[in-house]
Order: sequence, then C-alpha cells, then structure tokens
Amino acid sequence: MAGTEWEPKIVAFCCNWCSYGGADTAGMGRFQQPSSLRIIRVMCSGRIDPMHVFNAFLEGADAVLVTGCHLGDCHYVNGNYKAQVRYQFLEEMVRELGLEPERLQLNWISASEGEKFANFIRDVTAQIKQLGPSPLKPEGVN
Amino acid sequence: MVGIGDKLLGYATNPDVRNRGASGGLVTAVLAAALEKGMVEGVVVLKRIDEYEAIPVITDDVQEVLASGGSMHAVPVNLTKHAVGRKIAMPGKPCDVRGVIEQAKRNGVDLENTYIVGLNCGGSMHPVVTREMLIRMYEIDPEDVVGEEIEKGKLIFKTKDGEEKAISIDELEEAGYGRRENCRYCTIKIPTNADLACGNWGVIGELAGSATFCEVMNEKGKRLLDNAIEAGFIEVQPADEKSIAIRNKVNSAMLKLGDEWKGRLLTEIHDQERLTYYIEQFADCIDCGACREVCPVCTCGEDSKCTMFHSLADNYKMSMYHMVRLLHLSDSCIGCGQCSDICPVDIPVTTIFRRFADPAQKKRDYSPGMDLQRPPFLELMLK
Ligand SMILES: Cc1cc2nc3c(=O)[nH]c(=O)nc-3n(C[C@H](O)[C@H](O)[C@H](O)COP(=O)(O)OP(=O)(O)OC[C@H]3O[C@@H](n4cnc5c(N)ncnc54)[C@H](O)[C@@H]3O)c2cc1C
Ligand code: FES
Repeated sequence: MAGTEWEPKIVAFCCNWCSYGGADTAGMGRFQQPSSLRIIRVMCSGRIDPMHVFNAFLEGADAVLVTGCHLGDCHYVNGNYKAQVRYQFLEEMVRELGLEPERLQLNWISASEGEKFANFIRDVTAQIKQLGPSPLKPEGVN
Repeated sequence: MVGIGDKLLGYATNPDVRNRGASGGLVTAVLAAALEKGMVEGVVVLKRIDEYEAIPVITDDVQEVLASGGSMHAVPVNLTKHAVGRKIAMPGKPCDVRGVIEQAKRNGVDLENTYIVGLNCGGSMHPVVTREMLIRMYEIDPEDVVGEEIEKGKLIFKTKDGEEKAISIDELEEAGYGRRENCRYCTIKIPTNADLACGNWGVIGELAGSATFCEVMNEKGKRLLDNAIEAGFIEVQPADEKSIAIRNKVNSAMLKLGDEWKGRLLTEIHDQERLTYYIEQFADCIDCGACREVCPVCTCGEDSKCTMFHSLADNYKMSMYHMVRLLHLSDSCIGCGQCSDICPVDIPVTTIFRRFADPAQKKRDYSPGMDLQRPPFLELMLK
C-alpha cells in the first residue's frame, strides 16, 4: 500500500485480571486507539518470561509492553513483584544491547483504567513511529 | 588449635611435598590429610600432562594427592563442576570457589560436605597463547620448558638445559600475551570466600618460596587445618604484622591494576553501534553449546530455556540462545573466562557477557559467588 504511513507492531502482554480488563474497558469506552497493538493475554504478569519478550522482538515487534495489576493488587499475591524484578534485568539488558529504551516499557493498569490504557498505547505508537522499525526485525517482516 | 581469622605461615612437613609445592606445599598437605583422616571421600587434583595441560581428576589415593603439588599457570581450568554431588576437598582459585558457591545457592553443591582450599590468583594464561608467546617473545621451544615461575612481576621460564629467561608481565601483556583478558580485570585475587585462603603474598625473609601464607576463613577451614596439624602433615606459625601488610599491599596494587585493565578492555561502544557489534559477534556462532557446557554457574542441566527455545531455522537477527543466556547470567556471571577459552570460533564471549553483567552487578552492589547470604536476584525469594 504505497503512500500509507508505516504502522508499527506493538506487542503488549496483559494480565487477565487487570490490564487486559483495562484494554476491554478502553474498547467499551470507545477511546480511539491505533491499530498497532497485538495483545497477548497471560493470567498474571508473573507469567511473563523475559524469553517471551525476546521472542516478540526477534519475530518482528517494534515495541514490547509488559503490563499487569498495580503493585499490591496482583490476584496471585505477588506475581507483579516478580515481574518487576525480571523487568529490571530485562530493561538493563535491552539498554546494553543498544535497543532504544522506548521499545520496552512497563505499566501497571487496572481493569477500570480504560482511558489510561488507550493513552498509553497511543503514546507508545507515536514514540515508535518516530524511531522507525526495530533493528531486530527479521528480513522480510513488515 | 587454630582460630577462625588466624593468618598463618605454614608448610608441609614432608620435604618432597614442600619442595614440589608452589609455595610451602601446605595446600597439598592439607588436602591429603583431609583424605587420610576420612573427612572427605575424594580430593580434586590436577593431573599434570605437561606445562600446558593438566586434567582435573577426583582421587581417593593419598599418594596421588601428595604428588600433585605446584601451580599450573597455563591451565585455566575451572574446577567447580567437579564438586557437584560429591563429598570432596578441592583446591580452588577465586573463580573456582565462586562457581562452587553459586552452585550451592542453586542446590548443586552441598557446602557442608565440600572443603575448599582457596589459592590466591593473579591470573592464569591460555595454553595456546602461552606456546605462541614462548616462540615469539622468549624464543624458546615450548617443548623444552621444564618449569615456570612468577617473581617480582616477571614471568620466568626454565628450559631443560638449565637456562632461565624472564620477561616482565606488563611487557608481555602489551604485546597481547600474558594473562587471559578476564583475569586482568578480575576483582577477587584472595579467595576470602573459600574455607582457607592460601598464597605466597606475604611470605618473606628466609621462608620466601618455602612457606604458604594461609588465612582461616571459617569453621570448616579451622577443621581442615587442625586436622592436618594433628595428622602431622603440616606445621604453622602466626604471620607477623609485616607479612600481613605486604599481602594486603600487593593485593591492593593488583586490584588497582585490574581497574585500569577493565577500562582498557571493556571500552565503551557507542549507543548506535552496540547492537550491530553484538549481532556481528554472535553471527559467527556455530551453535556448539560449549560455552554453556563449561559455565561453572549454570545449573540448568539438559533441558534449559536457552537451548529448548532456540532453533537455527528461526533465522533471527540475534541468537535466542545468547539472548537468554545474557539475561540469565547478568546476575551470576563470575567472569571466569571459560566460555571465551572454549569457543571454537573465537567469539569474545566472556567480554561480551561482562558488558552486561558488570553494570547489573555493580548497580546492586553484588558480587556473585562470594557468600551465601544473598540469593540469585533472578530467582528472588519474596518474603
Ligand atoms: C593460576 C594461579 C595463579 C596464582 N597466582 C598467585 C598470586 O598472584 N599470588 C599468590 O600469592 N599466589 C598465587 N597463586 C597461588 C600459589 O601459586 C600457590 O598455589 C599457593 O601459595 C599455595 O602454595 P602451596 O605450595 O601450599 O600449594 P601446593 O601444595 O603447590 O598445591 C597447589 C594446589 O593447586 C592446584 N592447582 C594447580 N594449578 C591449578 C590451577 N590452574 N587451577 C586450580 N588449581 C590448581 C594443585 O592441584 C594443588 O592441589 C596462584 C595459583 C595459581 C594456580
Ligand atoms: S494478576 Fe495481574 S499482575 Fe498478577
């Protein structure tokens, strides 16, 4: 489609109980959202293995978002604290690799925060459009 | 009876063992006494093949232990994995000891049953590089070498015709020889994480060259020494102030030098160039898996994330195997250099892994393999 603006691919890991609910609320509230988002639902942010994030990047994601319940609200007591520890290491690693920091982001979003979710996706999409396609994207993937 | 924290000078009572030992043969005698008196079922020793090759073996023969003295500077093995699942005593450079402690944190080693006699270490050399260095810098046929020694910053080789040639280590390293890169910036020279910390720094005067400086680090170290003294294998005396001061001084000087080397070897790569650099380095990888096999802190075993989720058919820009390992080791890499040594396509694996691990460990003020107090961060236990 010549002439159309490049649309990044953004993978968001959402936990079943909060941020996935947030995405749902965003839809029900009819907040405008770009079509860049690919949601992967997990039961809890504690399920997100750094490997999943690598896989997303290596398969061609331009940005990866790790999301879950607010700290203290995890439905499995402390899954998001575990996610946070992993995320810190992951973030440092992605920096050292030389990927732009905007390409990996963490956000805690509750099921009622539909607007926050929509704004977050819009902001990230705008940032990534500025940066262009991820340097880890395989040949032949848009 | 010795006490925890004691700093001693000691040597083997058997003159052969004392002579063959790098310093006073104390390490060999302590290991042999532990076996003789049944404290352990076996001892890890290096079985010497020649100047450049030795194989770690686990023996239950006291004579074999007694015959194993001497330091092999051109044998950069890591002995960690030999301690896994056994009741043994072993000698160990700081990196060997750190490996054992990281294994213990992951339930690979039972420290209660493992006695570790630590050796000070200023660094070891790669055997292939050492041979090349002998030809180019020393103009000696590597096969003619019968012994090697480090004295006053010089590396001395002795040939079978009784000749000696000394070149300063600084000069060798400027020319690209000498110690392995990771040793040059290693931050642990005295193995305070072992049960005993032994070395020749601080052995002065008439004892120079024929006694070992030994610090008792914990209860197990005390048991080892008491046992060896009681068995009549060693004699010890307290080290005086001057000895202790010299040991500290040399250690500080070495650490300072290490800092300088770190600046030179881990030079900053610009933000925009780093990814390309890593992609290019790992592009040479032939997927042999040897770096994982030799890694002393890896406890994953056969089925691990780094291999199970990695497939060459994916044709990714960067290897999933290395991505997983880079993250996995950022809290636990001890910089022992085994991965670089083994790599068949000469990827500077250790240097690359240190680029990730160094800032992560520094930020958390954490030095893996130094104690059991702090858990591996990635397996953080929540209260
Ligand atoms: C690579 C290396 C570098 C060293 N650098 C220093 C230094 O800078 N400053 C200092 O004070 N002391 C250093 N040491 C320690 C010193 O050389 C003596 O090992 C120590 O003083 C004990 O002397 P000893 O006579 O009691 O030991 P010995 O009775 O000679 O026993 C030595 C033991 O070390 C084992 N061993 C030999 N080579 C290796 C190896 N490559 N890896 C693991 N185990 C090995 C042997 O199997 C033996 O059990 C170094 C040792 C090594 C191996
Ligand atoms: S359930 Fe949402 S983070 Fe654990």
